[in-house]
Amino acid sequence: MKLPQVDYEAPRTVEEAVDLLAEHGDDASVLAGGQSLIPLLALRLAQPAVLIDINGVDELSGVSVADGWVRIGAMTREYVAEESGTIAGSVPLLAAALPLIGHEAIRSRGTIGGSLAHADPAAELPAVARALDAEFVVRGRSGERVVPAAEWFEGYLMTSRAPDELLSEVRFPAAGPGTGTSFQEVARRHGDFAIVGLAASLTLSDGVIADARLAFAGISDVPVRAAGAEDVLAGERPSAGLFDEAARRATDGIDPPADLHGSSEYRKKIAAALVRRGLRAAADNADERQ
Amino acid sequence: MDITLRVNGTTRSGSPEARKTLADFLRDDLNLTGTHLGCEHGVCGACTVILDGRAVRSCLMLAVQAAGSEVTTIEGLATDAGLGPLQQAMWDSHSFQCGFCTPGFVMQATAFLSAHPDADEQEIREALSGNICRCTGYQSIIDGVLLAARRNTEHASER
Amino acid sequence: MAEILAERYTGASIRRSEDPRILTGAGRYVDDIKLPGMLHAAFVRSPLAHARVLSVDASAARALPGVVAVFTGAELEAMTVPGPDALMALLSWTGPTPEFSLLATDKVRFAGDPVAVVVAESRYLAEDGCELVEVEYDELPPVTNASFALDPGSPPLFENLGDNIARPHSRNEFGDVAATFDSADRVTDVHIDVHRHQNVPMEGRGCVATYDADLGLMTVHAATQSVHVTKIAIAMRLGMEQDKVRVLAGDIGGSFGLKIGASREELAVAAASRAVGRPVKWVEDRSENLTASGQAREESFDVRAAVSDDGDLLGLDVKMVVDTGSYPAMGAMVPETVEAMFPGPYKLAAFGFESTAVTTNKACYVAYRGPWASETFVRERVLDLIARDLGLDPLEIRLRNAAPRTNPPAFMITGRPLVGVTTRESLQRLAQIVDFPSFRRRQADARARGRYLGVGVATFIEAAPGPRSPEGASGPLGTESMRLRLEEDGIVALFTGQMPHGQSHQTTLAQIAADEFGVPFEQVRVVVGDSDIVPFGLTGGSRSATMTGGVALHGARQLKAKVLEVASHLMEASAQDLLISDGQVLVRGDPASAIGLGEIARRAAVGDVGAGVDANLEVQASFDGGEGGWSGGTHCAIVDVDVETGLVRVERYVAVEDCGALINPAVVEGQIRGGIAQGIGAVLLERSAYDQDGNCQSATFMDYLLPTACDVPRIEIEHLETVPLDADVNFRGVGEGGMIVAPPTLVNAIEDALSPFGVRIYEQHLPPARVLELIAAAGPAQ
Repeated sequence: MKLPQVDYEAPRTVEEAVDLLAEHGDDASVLAGGQSLIPLLALRLAQPAVLIDINGVDELSGVSVADGWVRIGAMTREYVAEESGTIAGSVPLLAAALPLIGHEAIRSRGTIGGSLAHADPAAELPAVARALDAEFVVRGRSGERVVPAAEWFEGYLMTSRAPDELLSEVRFPAAGPGTGTSFQEVARRHGDFAIVGLAASLTLSDGVIADARLAFAGISDVPVRAAGAEDVLAGERPSAGLFDEAARRATDGIDPPADLHGSSEYRKKIAAALVRRGLRAAADNADERQ
Repeated sequence: MDITLRVNGTTRSGSPEARKTLADFLRDDLNLTGTHLGCEHGVCGACTVILDGRAVRSCLMLAVQAAGSEVTTIEGLATDAGLGPLQQAMWDSHSFQCGFCTPGFVMQATAFLSAHPDADEQEIREALSGNICRCTGYQSIIDGVLLAARRNTEHASER
Repeated sequence: MAEILAERYTGASIRRSEDPRILTGAGRYVDDIKLPGMLHAAFVRSPLAHARVLSVDASAARALPGVVAVFTGAELEAMTVPGPDALMALLSWTGPTPEFSLLATDKVRFAGDPVAVVVAESRYLAEDGCELVEVEYDELPPVTNASFALDPGSPPLFENLGDNIARPHSRNEFGDVAATFDSADRVTDVHIDVHRHQNVPMEGRGCVATYDADLGLMTVHAATQSVHVTKIAIAMRLGMEQDKVRVLAGDIGGSFGLKIGASREELAVAAASRAVGRPVKWVEDRSENLTASGQAREESFDVRAAVSDDGDLLGLDVKMVVDTGSYPAMGAMVPETVEAMFPGPYKLAAFGFESTAVTTNKACYVAYRGPWASETFVRERVLDLIARDLGLDPLEIRLRNAAPRTNPPAFMITGRPLVGVTTRESLQRLAQIVDFPSFRRRQADARARGRYLGVGVATFIEAAPGPRSPEGASGPLGTESMRLRLEEDGIVALFTGQMPHGQSHQTTLAQIAADEFGVPFEQVRVVVGDSDIVPFGLTGGSRSATMTGGVALHGARQLKAKVLEVASHLMEASAQDLLISDGQVLVRGDPASAIGLGEIARRAAVGDVGAGVDANLEVQASFDGGEGGWSGGTHCAIVDVDVETGLVRVERYVAVEDCGALINPAVVEGQIRGGIAQGIGAVLLERSAYDQDGNCQSATFMDYLLPTACDVPRIEIEHLETVPLDADVNFRGVGEGGMIVAPPTLVNAIEDALSPFGVRIYEQHLPPARVLELIAAAGPAQ
């Protein structure tokens, strides 16, 4: 499987990249880490006219903290994020999810922004972003805008990024005291995509759940917040019975896709199991972080 | 596109098409056929090389993206004495059979051991779970890596 | 028995001579070959499972810069000789013979069926060219399952057959089947399915073909299990004399039965290279390997078992249907071996077996490591089902029914003697290694806490090569030949038709020859992979340990006798007083007399020995397998089934096995572990999947899942002390056993884990979703 003919551009600045995107629009694909895009090209499932390689745009890398938000440049490599003390300390849910992304060699090249712009609903990072209400900073010809996670994921591999826009940064809120997190997934093998995954975050205050975030990977064409379950959890004390109820609420009415790896019914069942397991783990972690 | 990079300690250049993968560039343009193609969609790990200190899947990079980088392939691991310590340990452990997956395993294990010299068996298995072998059932490969790690620790403590 | 003075290699895990090049990237696989002027081929393939081909327009492809030629199916027919599949011809198949062209001409019969070949300056350009070839298809209803294929109303894949029967129904009976079933206390009746899965070597198929028009010589660099069978296949199809075709093979990245003879694509590439007058390379990519190289094991069984209330397995009556896909190669021949092997090491009073093979619009059935393996799966599954019905322990029911080792040996009801079979010993040894009572306590404890552990066992025998047969040679493919020669540099060269692709022959055969001859291991060279130089041979069927190990042993002995005869003249001593040690010939007790073997060879070559003495230090040895023998054993798996997710973890795996004498224990164990890993893959991960329209759904490694280092546990291997049958050659094969017995071992363990739910398993593929389905269908936990 060899890649099809394609033109290639390697901008050095965000401005150059944006100009190229404005010029080529839908005919262009942005090449970030390449771990998702290059297989599509190799299988000739995608045949863009031009690749805009942003690996040379240095200003897109870096992790910083400001005003309670952790700002991650779109080209920050997944392994760099994995090794980041800032992320480990301030966005523990992201830190929990990162080691589950593929294998080390994938994370050597894969990027935070690339994964979130690719928006595979079975991937780990979209569920984390959705759970934490991350913010997506895009830059286009008309300037910069900030898109909340709830509006970012539009469909299967589709985001609200306009063709002439570049995702430049993703911002995650820093976790407050008493927050416990867990990323759980059911995958066929270690490192595989989740059949179903769950990003869970619980903030406890005096033993009561003050904040609950649950987002699924793999049950729809976008990551899905389990709002019904979150409502049931808020204000309650963690218990097995509560988590069972949350699992029921989270999976009521979902209609997951079916494929070679599992039927819709199967995904529903394991989604419920993941909610129980994820909440238990998050509650345990919350105790540690008090 | 003209590119220059360092491969196995030597400066090399070429003019690959933009669409040519790093794996194909190494194999075809630089005649370094030790790096193998097992799937060309980033799953089997046979194409693993070390680029700027990190193990990467060379089938998932364009050659032009490696311009200016430092690449090590399986051919670059030999020492003046012959086999490098990991390769020696794998030889001693009967790690491989048909050999097709070998370069990818050797490169991935090399990168992993240099960052995690004290890894235990489970950690090594997880680190190598992105490399597929069809012949061995993995035990002999894991044993080779464990032996290399142990020898390295003993060697280090002797100094 | 001849005296071996320096037996220091055989039986030891000598480091492989293959490894220095393998470990440094210096291996030479087909895709590493570059010839001057070499072009690259890619295939235009049908997207449809079943269709007429109305037209093929290659004009746009031919006009693409970099494309040198495009050959359609019709053009290739014009430059080749039609004929049957070479392997089936070699195995003397006399059943229905479908007629089809090399590449598809009037019809395509599976999604991925090659229709045209594009030859270009690079593989990249060849694939670009493929996208420009326009093919017009007229879709036909696809035949995608055996039951439709059996229906006379299903559209026939092959016009000349008129239906989709690749092997017509036939039935054999051994013993009095009717009486045995009529008088049995109980009859169990089950249907068991084995799913489609496949070889998936890490290196796919491929070749580089180059035709010398001046000399009329075709040279093909191949990835193959036999250079001679590939040579014959190419010569037949290209209408060439066999001695005008030379097949070379270097390192091969695994095969497991896939790379035998020459596939349609490889033949097309050879023909194309002859037509364009330049070398042409084709190496299949992973999608081609998964969709078009061939698949295996899709078989279904209706089994009736006649059983006594005490657990005696009195009789079996089996009905088998094989789905051989399209372009049947050897799938139609599998039922014969399944029938012969079905009784295994057990006593049966009666056995009935009937089979049919059908063609369907899926990739063609190819040999996959133990092609008859389903017999062990079905038999060992049925034994467990019976045991569960009767409340018997799985070890107990096997011990009860295994034939005792007697002299003369018991016979399988299908005819072969169970000589030297140590089934009972393996079962007993397993019970010593795995503390079953302790496990049962742990299992009960775990169940009380909602965790489901299970243990499973299964027993097998494999003909590796099989017992001595009254007609002659023990193994398949008759006798094994080897040419051995003492070279003038003192090297003992072994020329063998074996074509190792992971079997480590360059090491194991050298171990045997070095010991027998008296030279250091490094002084033996095993020469493989050139059809001009090596005798006929094929690596497969788990036969090389016996057949090739044996011919190496006897051949080395014969060559040594010749050498000592020559040396006796040169050294003026009696041959009986001479010995070979560390590469030198010396008079016993007189180290100063030592002469290097190289010198002996040089002096013999220049005629120092004088007339009347045979100074040609070469022998053509052959070996019929001696007393042959069975390999076999009992495997055991302990699994942990997560009943919320359906994921199965193999916690422990023990293999008790008997493969005769070991040439190189590390090599033997590697083969066993690799086969077991494929069995784990088959049960938990691997399926060659098609939808109802015949589209392949497992075309990448994202969907066809192979086991990784996290899926295969440490495998404990216990070698039984074997029963020597032959004075010299007691090595037996292990190539296929692991893959044959691991699937039932695992499925038996999974059913045991889920027995509180009342789950019964009648299939081999148990991905997590299926495990949950089985639990839900069975009902709440008891």
